[in-house]
Amino acid sequence: MVLLLPLLIPVLGAAIVLFFRRATRTALLIGTAEIAALSWLTFATYRHGSVAFGHYLRADHLTAVFLASLCVIFALVLVYSSGYLRHLPPERFSSVRWFYALLFLFLFTMLASYLSSNLGLLWIFMEGTTLASALLVGFYETEGAVEAGWKYLVVCTVGLAFALFGTIALYLAAVKSGVAGGSALDWTSLMAAAPQLSVMKNLVKLAFVFLIVGYGTKVGFVPLHSWLPDAHAEAPSPISAMLSAALLNCAMYALLRYDAIAVRAIGPGFSHHLLLLFGGVSILIAGLLMIVQRDLKRLFAYSSVEHMGIIATGIGLGGPLGLYGALLHTFNHSVAKSVLFFAAGNVRENLGTLRIDRISGMTRMLPFTSGALILGGLAIVGMPPFALFVSEFAILSGAFSQARHLVAVIFLVGLTLAFGALLFHFLHMLGGEPKDTPESRKVAGTELAVIGVCAVVLLIFGVHVPAQFQKLVEGAMAVLQQ
Amino acid sequence: MVLVDLAASKALGSAAVLLFLTVLMLAAAKRMSTSIVAFALQSAVLAAQVLAVARIHGSTESYVIGALVILIKVLGIPYALFRLVDKLQAPHDVKLSLSPVYSVFITAGLIFLSFTAVHTYVQELRVSEDVLAAAVALILSGAFLMVSHGKALMQIIALLVLENGIFLAALITTFGMPMIIEIGVFFDLVMGVLLMGIFAFRIRDTFEHLDVSKLRRLRG
Repeated sequence: MVLLLPLLIPVLGAAIVLFFRRATRTALLIGTAEIAALSWLTFATYRHGSVAFGHYLRADHLTAVFLASLCVIFALVLVYSSGYLRHLPPERFSSVRWFYALLFLFLFTMLASYLSSNLGLLWIFMEGTTLASALLVGFYETEGAVEAGWKYLVVCTVGLAFALFGTIALYLAAVKSGVAGGSALDWTSLMAAAPQLSVMKNLVKLAFVFLIVGYGTKVGFVPLHSWLPDAHAEAPSPISAMLSAALLNCAMYALLRYDAIAVRAIGPGFSHHLLLLFGGVSILIAGLLMIVQRDLKRLFAYSSVEHMGIIATGIGLGGPLGLYGALLHTFNHSVAKSVLFFAAGNVRENLGTLRIDRISGMTRMLPFTSGALILGGLAIVGMPPFALFVSEFAILSGAFSQARHLVAVIFLVGLTLAFGALLFHFLHMLGGEPKDTPESRKVAGTELAVIGVCAVVLLIFGVHVPAQFQKLVEGAMAVLQQ
Repeated sequence: MVLVDLAASKALGSAAVLLFLTVLMLAAAKRMSTSIVAFALQSAVLAAQVLAVARIHGSTESYVIGALVILIKVLGIPYALFRLVDKLQAPHDVKLSLSPVYSVFITAGLIFLSFTAVHTYVQELRVSEDVLAAAVALILSGAFLMVSHGKALMQIIALLVLENGIFLAALITTFGMPMIIEIGVFFDLVMGVLLMGIFAFRIRDTFEHLDVSKLRRLRG
């Protein structure tokens, strides 16, 4: 029941929203119910360690860490959207009703991927996330949005096709090494039987390569990231936040699960090195590409690529510090990146553009939005006292404690590049004289509220990680390092 | 009954050749309709393959999957694609970015490559070498069709060919994944084609053509 409720509410909600005229109010109501159900599930998992329903649904501490962050992000996006959507042009798919219906379906598919205990089911719902969000990416029906939507759909579907191939290869390896066919896709039984899999070493390696390429496309590892900046830049701002803060984590979660199996089956050498490779390349290339960006949301999108690289580096390092940092970073990055995309939404609403070179003197025109940008910017580059400092520092000390100096150097160079790029672009936008008068200077109360909440969360997690969350993360690490 | 068994084993053995033929047909196709027919034929071979496995292993689940393949991939999706071509009033040529001769040559090379690629795994897995090679060839040529064709509709077909390859690989190595997973994958496939159809309409409406290779606004 506790597992079914959060899955049922968004599906029914999507249907209900389509039939009501007052879409925003209905969506807020359904969303509140969903957030309550999600919190209940997270809490139940926290209390009992793991919750299962039937053969196919299961939540453990690892799931709960990601559920907590999904719940927070969804709540923020929902409230922000209610203020943001008032200026939408009424067209066929571009209506407020469709927006909320698709948002609920998107949430459902992500949630279902988290709760699937079966890896085949996980793939099905992961593909579902692409399908549910493609229309949201192409929501504005401009040339750019249609192109980004098509690219997103095709690139991610092809990428995930490789992940399906990897899933099948792993299933094959499990069946050939004596795991019963019915449970050969079940994560818990695979984890238990993982040492057996070492007989099929080559096949497990082949499977992991396809899985990291497949799910890595969705995570946005360089060089598989081509869809990511387009989709983030062309989608409506609340959806950009949802993509960056929720969807990327969802794909990373799949990789975490597979990495744990691979480590237990064939040792940490293979999968961890691959993750470090993809992570390092993503951090460096994304850091460099951030310097040359001309669109604010593309800049933030590349920053997401960089942070996914950081998380992959943490997982690849492994050990208590690396893994702890990586798990904590998924949450911290989500909150900080939401602030930035929400602020970018305000910039677009008031100035009508996101081109960095066309904006200057923002502190005078839009003091509040500028403040939010500065806050988000400081947080995202990992300045203390914000939360990202803690998680990035944990990963870095993990690298040093294992004497992985090359990893540490790449990590630090990437962070410095990103810091320089953000500083450069922000100084240009915020400082100087205003070029022309803004179209408007409005900031909705809801927008104020969500950014305030993010700031408080970032500060609290930066000063002291709450004991409950700490326990959850430690539980998740225990799940992965059985 | 003996005849049916014989037919089943023959279907398994000769499938690879037929699949290679459809792959080459797709590579050489100049018209949209040829490509759609080639895809339908390819799926029909796959369906025969599933039914043969079902017959040999006597599993009811495989019969259901076989029926689904016929219903969705042999009839449903090709029909929908023909309707889409009609409704979009798209020009009928496929817009290949290189000449069909080169395209066929490259595809032949890919087939050769897939034989070498599967060589190491064949003994370990105890499966027929040419069918596994056919599966890999489908995957590779699907990816090749994707990059060599500019038309949105052709990219949909490329994706379907790629998926056919993965389906075949799963079928011959594991004799099919668990039922619920197969059905979920089918559902995703149908929804994916539906969405791509919607996007094809949108691309035509916003750009007034269907040539995705000309979508170049977003860069860097």
